[in-house]
Amino acid sequence: MNKRWLAALVTGCLAAGLAAYAATANGSSASPTAQTGGTFRLGTSSRIDSLNPYVAFNQDAYSMFEYVYPELVQYDKSNRKFVADFATSWKATNGGKTWTFKTRKGAKWTDGKPLSAKDAAWTINTDIKYASGGAANAAGLIAHIKNAKAPNATTLVVTYTKAPGNVLGQFQQFAILPQHVWSKHAGHKGNDLKTFSNNPLVGAGPFKLSKYKKDDIALFQRNGSFYGEKPLVDGFGLRMFSNEDALVSALKTHEIDAIEAVPGTAIKTLKSGFNVRSTAGVDQTDFIINSNPKKKSHRELLNLKVKAAMAHAIDRKQIIRVVFLGYAKPASSIIPASTGAWHNPGVKPESFNLALANKILDQAGFKKGSGGIRVAGGHKMSYDVITPTDVPSVNRTFQILQPDFKKIGIQLRQRALDSTAAFDAITAPNGKYLNFDLAMWDWVALIDPDFMLSVVTCAQYGGWSDSGFCDKGYDSMYSQQQLTPNQAKRKAVVWKMQRYLQAKRPYIWLAQQDAVWAVSKSWAGLVASPQGPFNSINKLSLSRVHRQ
Amino acid sequence: MRGADYVIKRLAFAVLTVFIAVTINFALFRLAPGSAVTNLARVPHATPETRQALKRQFGLDKSKFQQYVIYLQQLAHGNLGISFANSQPVSDNLRTALINSLPMVFLGTLFAIVLGTLTGIVSAWRRGTLTEGATVTTALGFYSMPTHWLGLMLVILFAGVLPTGGMSDEFLVDPSFWTHVQDLAKHIFLPALTLGLVLYGEYTLIVRSAMLETLGEDYILTARAKGLKPWAILRRHALRNALLPIATLVALSLGYIVAGAILIETVFSWPGIGRAVYDAVLQRDYPMLQGAFLLLTCSVVLFNLIADLLYFRLDPRITE
Amino acid sequence: MSVAVREPRAVIEQEPVRSRRGIVWQTIRRRPSALFGATVLLGVILAALLAPVVAPYGIHDQVGPVFGHPSWRHPLGLDDGGIDMVSLLMWGARISLVVGFAATFVSMVIGGTVGVAAGYFGGKTDTILMRITDYFLVIPDVPLMIVVAAIWGPSLFHIVIVIGILLWTSTARVIRAQVKSVRERVYVKRARALGAGHARIVLRHVLPQVAPLLIANTVLTIAVAIFDETALAFLGLGDPSRISLGKVIENAFQRAAISTGAWWAIVPPGALVAVIILACSLLGGAIEDALNPRLRVAHLSARTFRLRPLVGRSSDAV
Repeated sequence: MNKRWLAALVTGCLAAGLAAYAATANGSSASPTAQTGGTFRLGTSSRIDSLNPYVAFNQDAYSMFEYVYPELVQYDKSNRKFVADFATSWKATNGGKTWTFKTRKGAKWTDGKPLSAKDAAWTINTDIKYASGGAANAAGLIAHIKNAKAPNATTLVVTYTKAPGNVLGQFQQFAILPQHVWSKHAGHKGNDLKTFSNNPLVGAGPFKLSKYKKDDIALFQRNGSFYGEKPLVDGFGLRMFSNEDALVSALKTHEIDAIEAVPGTAIKTLKSGFNVRSTAGVDQTDFIINSNPKKKSHRELLNLKVKAAMAHAIDRKQIIRVVFLGYAKPASSIIPASTGAWHNPGVKPESFNLALANKILDQAGFKKGSGGIRVAGGHKMSYDVITPTDVPSVNRTFQILQPDFKKIGIQLRQRALDSTAAFDAITAPNGKYLNFDLAMWDWVALIDPDFMLSVVTCAQYGGWSDSGFCDKGYDSMYSQQQLTPNQAKRKAVVWKMQRYLQAKRPYIWLAQQDAVWAVSKSWAGLVASPQGPFNSINKLSLSRVHRQ
Repeated sequence: MRGADYVIKRLAFAVLTVFIAVTINFALFRLAPGSAVTNLARVPHATPETRQALKRQFGLDKSKFQQYVIYLQQLAHGNLGISFANSQPVSDNLRTALINSLPMVFLGTLFAIVLGTLTGIVSAWRRGTLTEGATVTTALGFYSMPTHWLGLMLVILFAGVLPTGGMSDEFLVDPSFWTHVQDLAKHIFLPALTLGLVLYGEYTLIVRSAMLETLGEDYILTARAKGLKPWAILRRHALRNALLPIATLVALSLGYIVAGAILIETVFSWPGIGRAVYDAVLQRDYPMLQGAFLLLTCSVVLFNLIADLLYFRLDPRITE
Repeated sequence: MSVAVREPRAVIEQEPVRSRRGIVWQTIRRRPSALFGATVLLGVILAALLAPVVAPYGIHDQVGPVFGHPSWRHPLGLDDGGIDMVSLLMWGARISLVVGFAATFVSMVIGGTVGVAAGYFGGKTDTILMRITDYFLVIPDVPLMIVVAAIWGPSLFHIVIVIGILLWTSTARVIRAQVKSVRERVYVKRARALGAGHARIVLRHVLPQVAPLLIANTVLTIAVAIFDETALAFLGLGDPSRISLGKVIENAFQRAAISTGAWWAIVPPGALVAVIILACSLLGGAIEDALNPRLRVAHLSARTFRLRPLVGRSSDAV
């Protein structure tokens, strides 16, 4: 369960004060020197794991959906404002409970059938119908929607049960599916939605999928019948590499034109000869402490003093230097600083101070026993740290943490498991979070804070929770921010929640990684985003990329 | 009738081994603690209904013995199950992977046999000379290198000259036949060379030993004493007799090569049977793993059988 | 019978024992390849043993930049954690050797028991045990190791057990053949006639005879075990908290050492593994040759097939 995919599940709403109604069709066009044509070849060490939006996990899959499916809206170039996609204008009435979207005229699916507001309404209603079954993946996106109707081909009316704060943010992530294809695959109480291979893929975005080999390649061609601005290239491809060395070599030998996430060690070498760009990202690595109040063994880990001592034993500077080669920033909060105003700047990373950590533990009464390892409740403070094998930064980070923890009298042992097994071990038994002590992983946050804040609620037991954290006080703050339409007031609650979480420490946040990508000098036009150049934020990046 | 007995005995052994392999395969994946049911729980994206269907398909609600019978029945129908990872029949996945592996393995092995036989003969023939020392040391050197590391060394050497990953340039749209062949040749070179070099070391040592043994036989000494030309002795007597052990060992080793190619296919991202096993492990795709494992065991058994029969055919002394 | 009893037992029993024991030393002294192998192996073992004392830096100490270039202070440069490569090689060899020896020990115990039992008792015991051995020979070992390591989870102990369980077949075969031939020898027959128990005969008469071959086999098995551990580590199934040579290679590979030009992080550990395997092969092969010229073609291989005597390959023909 690479948490990358979470970025795609639920997405952001406007930063405070942004006008939701301001958007119109995007009018920008490519620079005059742009050459059209050619195939832009992108390399990744991640995967498009599935072509089916009800099944896909990885960010690359959701980035693909952005380019092959219509969404109602998308973010603008600066990732701040919503602009037109399939919907050209929208307005809210009935106190924010009814939203009416005007959609494009004469649009077509890639199989030639007409694309209309009816498809959008069908997709929304189907997702509502099967939210607890086959369409669970999309459940977060259609929360609080009562129903959707399409009175005519270019009008979509969505009715909500309560007025929510982030309508456009949710629809920005919502892929509209062709009713004439998918309605045949909604049988068995919607469970068939998950088993449909969706190949060949009928879409309506700027590109259409022309070739897909799992774990290998996905090739896309320009969709001539796209309703919006046509891409400059004839097509693009995403080649999936099984190791980062081969990925970097392929760029060097010009087998590919760009890498969407450059491994830290390769940045320096690639800087000569390629355009390497970076921007503050939303992917944060974490150190997870099982915070389930019902935990049976090793209950000293629930002691906030122990957690604080651990936080002071983490040398973030060293992690950033060695693991990320400087392309990261110290992380401190569940909401990364790169999301802008939602991040509480008052929540600062703990100082690396082994003496202080030792003092805290001494004062808390955990005496050092044989081998300098402290004793708590009759047993040594010696713990397994569960780590997923597919997060490449974890191993080096652990090797930095282990000796420092030993110096404060806490012994760590790494237990590396593949991500599914690791998540199983964390949630065991049966989503009760009773067995595990410590773990390491990463979260990819979104611009809107709702989703990240939700993963530590009690309701997420057996769902997204990977810390066993469950706190009634926190949960009430969570629903409070959800139903606060005034964004400035909501921000105040969100800031308070971050402070609260730092004090309770289900996570100790380690590093906020930069998004770093490299492009061959013969290409230009990619649009930056915290998710990198291939993202599910808007349809711009690969539509604008061109030879120069 | 010399032979009928022997052949029957060997065949029976092969069949028995396959049966044991099937049984162990069942045990390994079904009886190992915490595998079956928890593994089903790990099926990605499985709905409760899917899980129930899988349970029925594998007969997990029945006793272990009944499960075993079901497993054998399914196998008899050639049903290896459905891959958890991509929902395709395991047999289809395996076929694709095997077809991808074969050209690379074939080229590498061919290279190793040709070069290994040559150097083996030379080093045996020139026993006690510098040539022998040099050839044997080189062969031992390659033999000692970790396979994946040798592959990585070739990647360093050929960096920027040859592609280091994949089987073809997937971005070629509708290539002509000739471009396609060229492209494949470029991609196949490094993995095949790695396999070739690793096996070459081994084959040199085998051929050398076989040759030495033959060269020590009386008839060779007699031939030498009679003043026959060295080349004639080598060709007519020594080589012909050394061929037997060489052929047998090569056949034997073939069975293991596919399995051993895991490391090479991982280094070079070659989408073959080795990678399939590796990916199946990473994705906990148990049906795929089980199928691949059975295939690999069977291939070893098959080549063992071929080696035995070859041995029997070539060596008139075997009468058993 | 009574005549035989009075024969000078010491001569009959111990004479061949001494000469066979001597073979190991003689081989090392006389054959340059064996001498080379023994010296290198000894050197590596010494360096590994002394790692805590002589390693210039700790293996958790970052002493410079990530993938720092080789310099006077760090002759082999730094790895992807900024850790001194020379120190890593010494500590890595330590773990690799531990895996090698421990796995070999496991395989020796299993293989030795099976071999002695099969050879000594013969008959049905022999047939059954050899059938099992035959089966283990056709298991594709690398895939099985991967499967088992994946199911059990990566840890040093599991790796040792897995490798040990798969490598015993060659030992069993060699030992069995030797035991069979020793059993037929005059002095063993006499000891048996005298009423010596099975255990006593095996311990006093058979084992000393088999010992040198066992040594040769041990050395060769260590090579295979180290090879296998390196392979498992490369596939990400090594023990994450122990730095073996295989792990050093994997660490560097995972962080794109090759494409970023940091050859020093990946060439030396692999070369060291190759040197250790080479040394083991030379030493083991030489002892084997000296002991039994007919076994010369028999051949222990890290990759494709394990011990396969050329003549009479099938178990009943040895």
